[in-house]
Amino acid sequence: MKFDNPQTVFTKVLKLGTLLIVSIAILGSAIGFFAAGLPGLFGALAGAAIALVFVSLTALSVLVGSKLSLGAFYGIVLGGWLLKMVLFMIAISVLLQIEDLNGVAVFGTLVPSILGSLAVDAYVVTKSKIPAVS
Amino acid sequence: MDVINIAAGLTGNLAVIGYGLAAVGPGIGVGLVVSKTIESIARQPELAAKLQVTMWLGIAFTEALALIGLATPFIFA
Repeated sequence: MKFDNPQTVFTKVLKLGTLLIVSIAILGSAIGFFAAGLPGLFGALAGAAIALVFVSLTALSVLVGSKLSLGAFYGIVLGGWLLKMVLFMIAISVLLQIEDLNGVAVFGTLVPSILGSLAVDAYVVTKSKIPAVS
Repeated sequence: MDVINIAAGLTGNLAVIGYGLAAVGPGIGVGLVVSKTIESIARQPELAAKLQVTMWLGIAFTEALALIGLATPFIFA
């Protein structure tokens, strides 16, 4: 019987999550372009890009942190989380300043990307076989 | 001074309260997830790898709430 380790789980999550968000970006930018023109297209691409960066950062921080000691693990995961939230607020406020972006398109790709990647995360974790004794 | 007078004297952007609220819930949630994981690893250190993956799933679900909450200005502004 073949077991997974956290590294294989997270690389699988990152690959599948990227694939899903890229497909949401393509679909969303097509819908955004036909519904709202170029602002819709740019909005959808911006929303998908932000979702990709901020969703992948959590998995990356756990992947990097799991190779270190327990204290460093929590430092990297929680510090990364805090930093990510601040960067997310800055990214949102910058995007709100840009006139040529359709806000509904940003929100409409950001939220499905986040929810879809959650579904991918849950799927990969339930399918993975991590041994109880490391 | 009653509540209505205090409320009438408030000025500023209501969205700021929204940002704060979007941070409070996930902050409590991630804190609970992490504290319980530390407790579990202290009880059974050999389960650390499994618990870290489960903890990450918990954090991912909780932070989704924060990300969605912070992105709402795009549709409610």
